[in-house]
Order: sequence, then structure tokens, then C-alpha cells
Amino acid sequence: MEPLNLAVIVKLEPDFSEGNVSYKPDGTLNRNETKSTLGPHSGIAAKAAFYAKVKYGAKISVCSMGPPWADIALQQAQQTCDADVLHLYSDRIFAGADTLATAETLKTGIEKMQGKMDIVFSGHRASDGETGQTGPQTAWKLGFTFIGNVISYDVNLEKRTVVAKCLLTLNGVPNVIEEIEAPLPVFLTIDPSYKSNFTTVSQRIAFEKYQKEAYERARNFKQSLKVFNIDELGVDKTLVGLAGSPTIVYQVERIPKGKATRQAEVFDGSNSEHIRKVVAKMREALSAMVIK
Amino acid sequence: MEKYDVAIIGGGSAGLAALKQLSTLGKQAVLLEAGKKVGVKNISGGILYSKKPNKGRVYNVEDIYGQNFVNEAPLQRKITKYLLHATSKDKVFSMDLTAAHEYQSNFGYSVLMNDLNAWFAQSADESAQKCGGGIVPGVHVNNISWDDEKERTIIQTDELDEFQVKAVIAADGVNSEVAQITRARPKFSAVQLYQGVKAIVKLPEDIINETFAIGADDGEAHLFAGDITLNHLGGGFLYTNRDTLSVGAVYHFDSLLDSPIEPNTLLDALLKNPMITELIKDEVPVRGKIDKTLEKEKQMQIRFAVTKLIKTWYEIRDVYLSSSRRKELIKTGKFNSEDEIKSKLSETREKMSSQYGIQFKTDYVEDEYGAKLIPDGKRCRMKKPYHKNVLFVGDAAGRGVFVGPRIEGLNVGIDDGVRAANAIARALEKNNFSQGYLGEYYTKSIEESPYTKDMKEIDKEYLKIFIDATKDVPKDILSAKHSLVLKLMSSGAIRSMAAKFVNVLGYERLLPVIESEESYVKVPTELAERSGKTISSSYTPSIPLLADRIAKLNYNDDKVSHIKVLNPNNDFMKKLVMLCPTKCYSEENGQVTIQHEGCIECGTCSEQTDWKHPRGEKGINYRYG
Ligand SMILES: Cc1cc2nc3c(=O)[nH]c(=O)nc-3n(C[C@H](O)[C@H](O)[C@H](O)COP(=O)(O)OP(=O)(O)OC[C@H]3O[C@@H](n4cnc5c(N)ncnc54)[C@H](O)[C@@H]3O)c2cc1C
Ligand code: SF4
Repeated sequence: MEPLNLAVIVKLEPDFSEGNVSYKPDGTLNRNETKSTLGPHSGIAAKAAFYAKVKYGAKISVCSMGPPWADIALQQAQQTCDADVLHLYSDRIFAGADTLATAETLKTGIEKMQGKMDIVFSGHRASDGETGQTGPQTAWKLGFTFIGNVISYDVNLEKRTVVAKCLLTLNGVPNVIEEIEAPLPVFLTIDPSYKSNFTTVSQRIAFEKYQKEAYERARNFKQSLKVFNIDELGVDKTLVGLAGSPTIVYQVERIPKGKATRQAEVFDGSNSEHIRKVVAKMREALSAMVIK
Repeated sequence: MEKYDVAIIGGGSAGLAALKQLSTLGKQAVLLEAGKKVGVKNISGGILYSKKPNKGRVYNVEDIYGQNFVNEAPLQRKITKYLLHATSKDKVFSMDLTAAHEYQSNFGYSVLMNDLNAWFAQSADESAQKCGGGIVPGVHVNNISWDDEKERTIIQTDELDEFQVKAVIAADGVNSEVAQITRARPKFSAVQLYQGVKAIVKLPEDIINETFAIGADDGEAHLFAGDITLNHLGGGFLYTNRDTLSVGAVYHFDSLLDSPIEPNTLLDALLKNPMITELIKDEVPVRGKIDKTLEKEKQMQIRFAVTKLIKTWYEIRDVYLSSSRRKELIKTGKFNSEDEIKSKLSETREKMSSQYGIQFKTDYVEDEYGAKLIPDGKRCRMKKPYHKNVLFVGDAAGRGVFVGPRIEGLNVGIDDGVRAANAIARALEKNNFSQGYLGEYYTKSIEESPYTKDMKEIDKEYLKIFIDATKDVPKDILSAKHSLVLKLMSSGAIRSMAAKFVNVLGYERLLPVIESEESYVKVPTELAERSGKTISSSYTPSIPLLADRIAKLNYNDDKVSHIKVLNPNNDFMKKLVMLCPTKCYSEENGQVTIQHEGCIECGTCSEQTDWKHPRGEKGINYRYG
């Protein structure tokens, strides 16, 4: 049986976690001051790929389009999924790309990877104002079957199919979990609620082993990293970057910054009367939320 | 169902030694550990010994992990001085027990279990993987069942599919669930246990060297008895680590049940002793008052800035006051020179006081609070440490040598682990896991261990060293019973006869004399009173409240309680309101209830509750241990 060949597409994003994000006085993001990191959804995609590494011993390549310093996103992804290969597509010409132009770059990169690709993973969307189109568009360009909102999956190595559970959320209707079986190759976008579930001792031993390997590899990530400029990638210049983008960001709305309304009150944890008050307050707050 | 040769339950130092040894012998074994990572659940004093008994052999750490162990493992300091202090208020009488500490030993290092067990685990796991096994953390074993017809032993856990093995090593500690599942032994009772409670005090490396007047790699151990016991049977310890101190109290659990006292009070009694107060002394930043007339948001900003600055100051100071870390950070290019670190430190300090009114005062800093039961090997070692194809090792088997100042559980469990591994490797070769071939063979091996001898009888050589060390003690302080024993033992001619006689009497009769109020409290108190040196302390330490100690601990909360109260109105349970080290129990209208969230899994309440370890990854995570 052929080992699985997987790719993950990831993105460097501003770090929105506490203490790392910085705003300009007008409320828009100060990109220079804000640290960057592997996007949280990309992280989940890497985690999903790691599942196949643990369970089926798959080979994983991770790629990203971004500035030279986006290599840290690849490093972080490698630490999550123990990637064997890292690709960074970095060139000034790629700047200003919309989702379609990005998809073209990523598709070209994936096709350049060694071996026939079986599954490509992407995050559900990016956290810095992207619309969740890069994944589906890359899938379309690759000609792979697309499955979205994946919350868990397994591969049938003999039949060479994937069986994925997908979460469907529709307004006013209870959530539905749909199970889809599709022949490889497939493109999966991973839902934020995705969880890897390892249920046997051998899987857990493999998990520990690959996790250690991932840590080591990520420490020396440059050894697995290959950076491509536009010529090295050999992509059609008219289809990438600003030139290849049929859409353009026309205006960025200000992030409304709420005025701090918090008024702290001090309660003494050893005083049962105080505790009662806290409980009453919490109840009040919770009920208000429900009514709204 | 998956199949493995051996399952080891519990990744403390004993279980890890078993895994390393089995793997070295080329046998396949998986080790299941409930903690999220190996090391987070383990707590010790602790001094790790390597021993060389005159008769028989023991398996030491370096026999298992390699002769380079001392250079590779994360050991804290080599203990080169071992002192016993008798205390009474501000008076201290000190006796040098270094000779007893060095008795039949290759070395004794202070250790912190989180780091040390993680290191053991890495080494053992590497070897185990080569044999198709490994370590699986975050898994709680909840049952073992036997299908005798099919000759199958099945391991069940809260997290994974059940799997099949040929033999099992129970290394699940003093509160062993495997012992209950197999009914191999009853739960330990109060007379068989000690309760240990411990605090990690933060103190920069250079300050430790200066305070104790020791070299960068040397360490000291200090034991305490006398009025610091608050009239309970037990005592205190203080061990120097690289840049922390381990300060703790170990008490006979039955003595605590007789007159319940909060474990943290016993710990505080130590910390308040002027001698200890001086040893833990450091410089500590104190936040200035924030101007309450400022806007709320501004106040908050200041609070954050101060927190960040204090953190930075500690980080730089820890580096500056540690020769090894100073060198390392200069080597890696983080700093250019020592002067640069120094000026960065004073710059930060200047900013702290000028911009935020932070002041500096003399105090001490506590980093971690913890507690655990300790099985007293003299009273509770399993005589038959097996059930079917399950072998018990370490604390789970009730093994440890605790006699006077001799405190050894780690090395004993490691020796057990190797013996169990050897017995199982032999059984695997013959595919014979019968009680006769496996269990009895292991029992015999354990019985041959010099440690078992030390659990059964008094070692007269050790006793002599101890008595020599206490030669300056005025004999009239001792009661008639004590002086008689002492007199007999001090005379070389009759010592060996007397020791024999005493050993005929057996530990059971002798222990009430040795481990008495007289030994732990009265004699040392009077000794200090009469002959002690007065030590005055230069400050009053701000000892944290229990609530603050608990707040500093790291838990993965579980919604479900791992402990169930069986008899809410019995006496034992009522005493737990005092004796639980994190105050999980409270009594209302004569009924005791538990709030399990703060539980540190010490096991103090286990005897009379339905007690399990939390599910995989849940519960307490010690940083030091
Ligand atoms: C305060 C104090 C001071 C001490 N001082 C010293 C000293 O100076 N020198 C010395 O040699 N000894 C000392 N000891 C004793 C020594 O620490 C212990 O003997 C030793 O740590 C026991 O190791 P162990 O591997 O047997 O058990 P543990 O370290 O308790 O390990 C048991 C492991 O099993 C896991 N486990 C339990 N149940 C399950 C389950 N069902 N499924 C999966 N995993 C499970 C636990 O999470 C834990 O990690 C001291 C002890 C204390 C408390
Ligand atoms: S609840 Fe029991 S096991 Fe938990 S900390 Fe209290 S006494 Fe120890």
C-alpha cells in the first residue's frame, strides 16, 4: 500500500492573542507593531494532518505564500504536524493577491511537491479578514474533490477513500453532521471544532513519538524549508499577485473599540455573604445575555 | 484488541526504572501515566541516593541510566553536609549527621521530581520505542481483568480501547488503585503512613551559595525536630536545590489524627523558625500604592506595567545571580557581558522605584505548595508484593526506608523496578507467568534486597554512626528507657549483642520507643533550650495564606469528582476538615462534604473514601514536585 501524501496550506496572520495586538489611534490594526504568528485556523488544519501522520504514517508537506518572515508560520505548523517538507512562496510580485491569485500560487506549489498528492488540508478561514475562499478555490484549481467544515475524518487505505464528518450549521435549524465518503485525492477544510481522537495504545505511542520528532524538526526547521521566488515556482505571472487578482480590497472598516464600562468591585472569597452576591450578579448577567 | 508484553501502571521514578530496565533487556513494555506529562504528579523531598551496601547489591540509578547519569540528569546539588537541628523558640542545637548521610552511599543529590522524572522518561521512552513499546501519558488505568481460559490479562483505562498484556507492574504510588482492584493488600492505615507537606522557596543560585557558604555544585540538607513539631511526631527538612530550596514537614499520620492540625500550620512553624527564616531570606519587591483618584483605566494600566516590570526584574536577576546561566546567556549571545546584565538589572530596578514607587524589602518567596502521603516501609511493606501476574513496586508496594534521619523512597522504588523488570523478562523468556514462576521469584528477589533488610531490622553500623553524631547530647535529658538503649548501643562491646537483642524484639516493639514524643519533641526541645545557640531573625517572613498557596497551583479541572465521601459523619472524615492540605473538606450540620477542585491528590483522605486518581490529564500539575 502506498503511504499517504499530504499537504497543508497555512497562513501567517496577526497575533490577536492578548498583549500582542496593537491598534492605531483610528482603531485600525497597526500591522507594524502587531506580532505575527501561524493563523489559528491554519494551526487546526496542521493538527488534522498530524492525525493522519499518527494513524497512517503519512508524509506531510506544509506550504504558505507570504513574506520571508512567514517562515515562522511554517515552523509553528511543523511543530504541530511534524511536517517532512516546508515550502514558502515568497516574492514581491505575490503581494496584493486576492484569494484567487493566492489559490493559483498555492496550487502551483502543491503540484510541484514530490509525489501524487492525496489530501490537502486548509483552515476554515483566516482570522485577519479573509472570506474562507482560498481553500475551495485551491481545491477547484487542483481539481480535487472539496469537503468543507470537516470535524473528523478517516482514510480507507485499501479503497483509497476518505470518510469525513462535516458540521452543517444553518440558521434556525439544529446542527447537522454529514458523513461523506470520497475517493482520493480530496481537499479538506477543517472546522474550528475539529478534534483528533486517538483511541489505541499504539496510536498514542506513535503520537508521542511524532510529537517529539516534530519538536526536534521545528527547532531546526530551516533544514526542511525551501523558499521559492516566482521564477523558481514557475507560475504564470498574470495569474498571481495584484495582477492576477480580479477583486480588490476597497475599504477597511474601523474596528469599533468599545468604551471600557467595567467597574470592578472587590469581593472577599472567604466571606460567604460576598460569595452569594457574586453568584447573584453572575445569574443576573447570564439571564441578561439570554434575553438579548 | 491490541497486544503488548508488559504494562507498567504509573510513571513515577519506580515505574520508569522498570520500563528502562525491561527495554534494556529488549522486552516490549508500555507505561501508562495519568498525568498530562510524566513528572507533573510526583512529589518528593527529596534526596536521591545511590547506595553501596556492604552485603548484597542494590540497583542504582547509574546502573540503569548509565554511568554518566550524574553529568546528564537534571540533578540539583550534591549534598555534602547533613545536619540535624533541635529547636526551641529562637534556640537551635545542631548535630552533624554527614557521616550517617554518607553511610554506604555513592552519592546523594537533591532533586526536583518534575524535571528528574521527565528526564528518566525521555531516556526510558527512547529505549522502549526500540522494543515496540513506549510511554503514554494522560491515561488513567481503571481496571485490570483476567480471562483465565484464554490466558489473557486485559487493561482498561478511562481514555483508550482496552488492550491485552502478559504481565503488569503496578507502580501507581502510595494510593495504588491497582492494589484495590487486585485486592493484593488493604489500603494503608494511618499508623503505616506519614503525611509530607512541602514548599518550594525561590532563591537565586548565588544567594544560596552565599547564605549556606557552599560552592556552586555543593548542597546541604537540614533536618529539624523539637518545638517546630508543635507537639506532633515528625519533623522538618530543608534541602538546597540549584536556585530553590525545598522546605517540608513529614509527620506520622496517626499522630496527626490524634490531635488534628492543618498541614500548612506545621509547614509555617518551620518557616517561622529564626534559623530557617534566615536561610530563606531574599530581597523582594513591594508594589507601591496606586493613586485611587486616577481614572480606572489608568490604574489598570499601571497595575499591568508593574506586574510586567517585576517579572522582568526577576528574570534578569535570576540570570545575573546564577553563574551557569550568566555564562550560558553570554555564550548564546543574548547578552554581551556580565556588566551588561548588571546594568540592565539596575536600570530595571531604577525604573521600578522611580516610575512606580516599587520598594524592596527583606522577605522570602514561595513558588509551590504540595503534599503527599509516604508509606513507612517498616510498617507496611507488602510481604507478598504480587497478585497473579501483577508485581508491585515502590510506594505502591509500601516500600521505603525511613529510620530517624534516613529518608529513602526513591532509590528503593528504583531498585524494586529493576527487580520486577528482571523477573518479568525471565518469565517472558519461558512464557510462564504463573505465581510460582513470576510472583514468587520476584518476592525472593525483593527479600534479598538490602533495603528490605533495612525495613525489617535495625542496622547496627548505621546506629553507631548516629550515636556518635549525638555524643554531645547531655545524657540526663533522656528518659530511663532512652538512656538504657543509648548506653547499650554506645559501648562497642555490647553494641552488636544489643542490636541483635533489639532486633529479636523486632521493629514493632522498638518503634514506639524510637518514634516517640520524647524523640521528636521533648528531647530536642530541651536540648535546644539548654545547649542551643540563640539565632535572631532579621525580619518577619510574610508567609502566604493557604488560599494564596492554592491559587498558585496549576490544575486541569475535572467536572467529576475523583473522590466520593462514603461516611459523611464519621470521625475520620471530620478530622479531614483540618488534615486535608488544601481544605477540600468542610463540615456543616455534622455532615462532611468535599469540594474536589482544589485536591492535590495527596491521599490523606483515601483510607475512608472511595478514592481514585483523577482521569487522564486532569487534576494537579506540579511544576517542581
Ligand atoms: C515530602 C516527601 C519527602 C520525601 N523525601 C524523600 C527523600 O528525600 N528521598 C527519597 O528517596 N524519598 C523521599 N520521599 C519518598 C519518595 O518521594 C517516594 O518514595 C517516591 O517518589 C515514590 O515513587 P513511585 O514511583 O513509587 O510513586 P509515585 O512517584 O507516586 O508515582 C506514581 C505514579 O503513578 C501514577 N498513577 C497512579 N495511579 C494511576 C493509574 N490508575 N493510572 C495511571 N497512572 C497512575 C501517578 O500519576 C504517579 O505519577 C519523600 C516523599 C515525600 C512526599
Ligand atoms: S481531598 Fe483528599 S487527596 Fe485531595 S488534597 Fe484533600 S486530603 Fe488530599
